[in-house]
Amino acid sequence: MAAGVAAWLPFARAAAIGWMPVASTPMPMPPQEKRKAQDGLIILNVSGTKFQTWRTTLERYPDTLLGSTERDFFFHEETNEYFFDRDPDIFRHILNFYRTGKLHYPRQECISAYDEELAFFGIIPEIIGDCCYEEYKDRRRENAERLQDDEEMDMNNDVTPVNLTFREYLWRAFENPHTSTLALVFYYVTGFFIAISVMANVVETVPCGTLPNRSKEISCGDRYALAFFCLDTACVMIFTVEYLLRLIAAPSRYKFMKSVMSVIDVVAIMPYYIGLVMTDNDQVSGAFVTLRVFRVFRIFKFSRHSAGLRILGYTLKSCASELGFLLFSLTMAIIIFATVMFYAEKGSTGSKFTSIPAAFWYTIVTMTTLGYGDMVPKTIVGKVFGSICSLSGVLVIALPVPVIVSNFSRIYHQSQRAEKRRAQRKTRLARIRAAKIRGTNAYMRYKQNGLLIDSLEEEAGQALVGKAPSPPFESQHHHLLHCLEKTTNHEFVDEQTFQANCMDISVMNKTGSRASSLSSSPHGLGSCCSRRHRKKSSFSLPSTNNQELSTIQIRERPVANSRASLNAKLDETVPLKCDEPYITPSMVSLSAPVVTSSDGDGSTTTAYSQSNIVRVSAL
Amino acid sequence: MANILHVCCIRFKLCDKLKISLITSVKYLDQVMAMLGVDMVSRLTETYLSLTDSVEDDFELSTVCHRPESMDKLQEQTKFTKKELQVLYRGFKNECPSGVVNEENFKNIYSQFFPQGDSSMYAHFLFEAFDTNKNGSVSFEDFVFGLSIILRGTINDRLNWAFNLYDLNKDGCITKEEMLDIMKSIYDMMGKYTYPTMQDDAPREHVESFFQKMDRNKDGVVTIDEFIESCKKDENIMQSMQLFDNVI
Repeated sequence: MAAGVAAWLPFARAAAIGWMPVASTPMPMPPQEKRKAQDGLIILNVSGTKFQTWRTTLERYPDTLLGSTERDFFFHEETNEYFFDRDPDIFRHILNFYRTGKLHYPRQECISAYDEELAFFGIIPEIIGDCCYEEYKDRRRENAERLQDDEEMDMNNDVTPVNLTFREYLWRAFENPHTSTLALVFYYVTGFFIAISVMANVVETVPCGTLPNRSKEISCGDRYALAFFCLDTACVMIFTVEYLLRLIAAPSRYKFMKSVMSVIDVVAIMPYYIGLVMTDNDQVSGAFVTLRVFRVFRIFKFSRHSAGLRILGYTLKSCASELGFLLFSLTMAIIIFATVMFYAEKGSTGSKFTSIPAAFWYTIVTMTTLGYGDMVPKTIVGKVFGSICSLSGVLVIALPVPVIVSNFSRIYHQSQRAEKRRAQRKTRLARIRAAKIRGTNAYMRYKQNGLLIDSLEEEAGQALVGKAPSPPFESQHHHLLHCLEKTTNHEFVDEQTFQANCMDISVMNKTGSRASSLSSSPHGLGSCCSRRHRKKSSFSLPSTNNQELSTIQIRERPVANSRASLNAKLDETVPLKCDEPYITPSMVSLSAPVVTSSDGDGSTTTAYSQSNIVRVSAL
Repeated sequence: MANILHVCCIRFKLCDKLKISLITSVKYLDQVMAMLGVDMVSRLTETYLSLTDSVEDDFELSTVCHRPESMDKLQEQTKFTKKELQVLYRGFKNECPSGVVNEENFKNIYSQFFPQGDSSMYAHFLFEAFDTNKNGSVSFEDFVFGLSIILRGTINDRLNWAFNLYDLNKDGCITKEEMLDIMKSIYDMMGKYTYPTMQDDAPREHVESFFQKMDRNKDGVVTIDEFIESCKKDENIMQSMQLFDNVI
């Protein structure tokens, strides 16, 4: 519906008078107006900034938050206004949309904040007006790329797989040399050999002095032919091995063989093998020499080692159309000018412009402002056209170049940003993790203190701890976590202890004896959390916290039947040895059929070996 | 000379009507003077001014502003209350900030209510009906007068207005051709996708039945009296006229 012209609806309905006399059937009843259009002002208080508008303005778009009854949820009775706890700056644009029917995107706002506000108010971004739509889409695309980069980082780094097949491991080592030392070594070795191979190709053409019985100088390659051959063989061996390993490790062999890098690899090592296969025939030696040229492609293998080279290649690929245009226009200009120069210089004696293709060379050299001077026009007409040619050359080349440069610059900066983000990422993640740990530690401390305070109050009826009370939000949050623990019969631990426990468990599994950290207790417990009454430890709790937690062990449950998990009797706890601050954990087996007797230290081991979910309370 | 005055008018932001009358009178004077050959100086200054202000001219001309008469006067002349006038004006001004609607704008607005079909012809007829002083634009007064008749007028007023709408050449009687145009424009608004599918001769048939009903003396035209009489006799039409009582 034309919500923008909603105000003209009465007019449209009035204009229907023209249909009435010609209608042959009676008209339908008009819709009953439930409430006579209350055209009142609505006050919208967005974080303190008050906006006012007509009710009808908002109701133009009934499928948004403000236009529907959804806004009643935000009605604030005391002040008789609608209160939204959102950004007033962005809200301005949203309200303008209702007023004018056009949604604009402000350039200075962050794209994700804007998207969030739009989503909150139920407005789809597609209705952004043409004036701002392009900008919006560009920013959105940039943001998506950034997020995608981050995700890729995540995927690459966070995947710390435990069980990779050898093949996957190998592939990962090839693609990401930083994952393991072996991969890094291999990476550097191949790089070294590429460099050696390229340098050998270069050096073997240098003249190396004369042979004793000849006057002609021969190249180093011919003088030390055997040495160079051995070097070449060694390099090709390495490259072949690398290529074969990559081929084996590739997840999709077909895709790998199609990729550019593998083609380069193949082209780099082919000449050697072809040379081996071919006999030392004079006729084919010419072709053989040509093949040796391909050895220079080994230098492209460096692109695996250099990001800059990859960026260059990517830029050229993305600027393919500009390059094509450059080539096409240059060709046109060359043909035109070569023709003109040929006919202009035809008359002069001894001119080098023997044919139009011969004039091509002059044109190219002139248009690119090289000017070797091996061909120069002698006639005046030729000189005139030659100068025009050089002037136009500058223009034709200068036009597409900025496009290519800007593309390269954009891609380069993008990769710079990615590098920077990667470097910052580690510190960022570390900080985030630290914050999380603080949160969990707060919870642990709360648990100890809170429960202990409760127990102490129970016992002695006195509040011991002079600790400042935690803010209500935190206390409620902790209570919530506590309830969750109670529900699942598990407890929260922090990361290090969990990992430590994993190691412990794996160690324990191997040895099969856990006598050192286990002790059974004669007490049975009906609740998940056992409380230890220990006055002394209330003050030393923070220090023993870690030790306690380090002995909490949780293990995954392999057994399918789960009926016993939550209702199983917890039959063991650990008594706190009153003189030792170190609290040993109790082991609770939740498997109903395997209820160990409450006495007997050694029985727990057997129970444990068949155990299911084990929950340990260390309080 | 006329152009100089033009520019001066724009500079001083004179009202549109005044500007037009001033310019026309000066143009006449200019022609006279040109006949006498006394226009050299003015031409020079013209060119100078035009060089500096040519772009500005175009822009300024397009933002013509029209202010309606005061609300009190409008309230006297129409049958709307103050509140209703307020609502109407706000909607009008929102869509036409310059204060007047030209035909293209009018068609644009009206077409937004009928997305499936082509409402341009009917909008054209409506425009003609609303534009009582035939100056090519509908001001707020025209708008409100028309609406006042349709929404707040007596049955006779409404029927009169409808007749006026149908009578394209305003000669007091509706011919079959005029009616056919109107009918076609109404059917065009339906668009292509209708059920049952639109036949090409549907408008013509409808016109025939209309004339059969309305044309008392079978002279091929419908006069205002025939129209009003026949409409009053028709139950359906009378009932449908009641619809307009509470549109706003």
